[in-house]
Amino acid sequence: MQIVSSGLSDVGRVRTNNEDSFRIVEALNLFILSDGMGGEAHGEVASAMAVDVINKVCESEKEDSGATVLDEAPATISSQTRRLKSAVAQANFQIFQAAQKNPEQRGMGATITAMWLKDTMLSIAHVGDSRAYLLRSGNLQQLTSDHSLVAEQVRRGLITPQQAEESEMQSVLLRALGAHPEVEIDTDEVEIIPRDVLLLCSDGLTRMVTEPEIAGALQAEMVPSSAAERLIALANENGGVDNVTVIVVRFEDDANKGWFSWMRRGSAKKD
Amino acid sequence: MAKLSLMFENKLVKEVPIGSRPVTIGRSPDNDLPVDNLAVSNYHARVYFEAGRLVVEDLDSLNGTFVNDLRVERATLHDGDSIWVGKHHVKVDATADAAIPWDTGRKTAAPKINETMVLDTKVRREMIQQAAAMGERAQFSAGRMRVATLVVLSGKIDIKEFTLTNKLTVIGKSPMATVRLKGWFKPKMAAQINQRDDGYYLGTGDKVPTVNGTPITGTVRLNDGDLIEICGVRMNFIFRE
Repeated sequence: MQIVSSGLSDVGRVRTNNEDSFRIVEALNLFILSDGMGGEAHGEVASAMAVDVINKVCESEKEDSGATVLDEAPATISSQTRRLKSAVAQANFQIFQAAQKNPEQRGMGATITAMWLKDTMLSIAHVGDSRAYLLRSGNLQQLTSDHSLVAEQVRRGLITPQQAEESEMQSVLLRALGAHPEVEIDTDEVEIIPRDVLLLCSDGLTRMVTEPEIAGALQAEMVPSSAAERLIALANENGGVDNVTVIVVRFEDDANKGWFSWMRRGSAKKD
Repeated sequence: MAKLSLMFENKLVKEVPIGSRPVTIGRSPDNDLPVDNLAVSNYHARVYFEAGRLVVEDLDSLNGTFVNDLRVERATLHDGDSIWVGKHHVKVDATADAAIPWDTGRKTAAPKINETMVLDTKVRREMIQQAAAMGERAQFSAGRMRVATLVVLSGKIDIKEFTLTNKLTVIGKSPMATVRLKGWFKPKMAAQINQRDDGYYLGTGDKVPTVNGTPITGTVRLNDGDLIEICGVRMNFIFRE
């Protein structure tokens, strides 16, 4: 399977600093996106750290580097997913430790959405409210559940999704990296098929742009870099109150090479 | 009016009403409920109303504050509870008090939030308590999550029941499919079910499934008892407690 990806981050229309971080590691087919929080410049520190630690752990040769597998994860998840999960656990611990050591960084934290593809198996690890979507057969499907107070209230049937969108509590997270020495990490596995499009995004996109708009942009722009630009432009047109970061990944049949190399040339902006 | 009664063994030491001002408990004589005992810190705990609930908060006391048998940093109090500080205890009498429902107090009780934040310690407990209170009102508890299940009614499938635990459930011939179809001409990915915060959504794949006899367009939200038909397989979508 052929893979083309593109990531883009924008400060938005209101904020002065960008606390989001992302990384695409083409050699590993690893995609990481993190939204930092905590005043001054500490949100940036936390999200950059999250991305860096996860990249390093996934890159390391050893199957399980150090005392990493903190979880007694069910055997139903693959070793690759377990490794991604332990990478996220390490990122959490390192951010937590850094925040403990430097009093001015107290309270810093980050969300994480990390995806790792091996063959056709996509491993997903996730904490916080940055989302992952899969566009398949024209349907946009959410692959992650937000760990936010409002999402939890929706799941319990206490409020409707519409009420959640209007709530002033949208920014309240129930889980994030760096808040505690240990964090509960959601994992999932999805088999990727040709023509799938994957989107990772920070809440700066999902709060500004509706899902039909997102699906429309992903379908209209076949080239991932153009799709990423379009999504960011949409978020800014609708207000751009937060940093916006997106990673768009497109999967294509090997047979489709001619079209594919054209698309690759078109995807200029990479991390 | 709710009141607090400071007791030593079975003897009443002092009684105070709780109004808008917090009631303080401690060894220092300027507390509302002074407790003359070395095991009690100078300013040991305080009790106050918040968003219609009576709350006790430990003020970093050395020996701790207990509600009934449980050591707490902060806890919501109910009628008949006892707050233990050292060998004394404070009885809570909230009978004459009509609690203000949480949702009327919500706007003021919630901190104004613009920046993303993680609920931590105090705030988290507070909000979870409030959410729990709200849950009680909605007759819903955290433990009672409904599990979506596909029950196969007819068709060439070995397994007769699938629990939808993943975010994405694929119906098709693909080896990764949860609901695995058999047969030469079956598509790899016939249809898919996406679990979202507010429910389960069936979407088209290489085939268009029908729900209760009607072919779907795009995605549709599944309701308890819906009948799904795809590639000659009929399934019932139900929620199990």
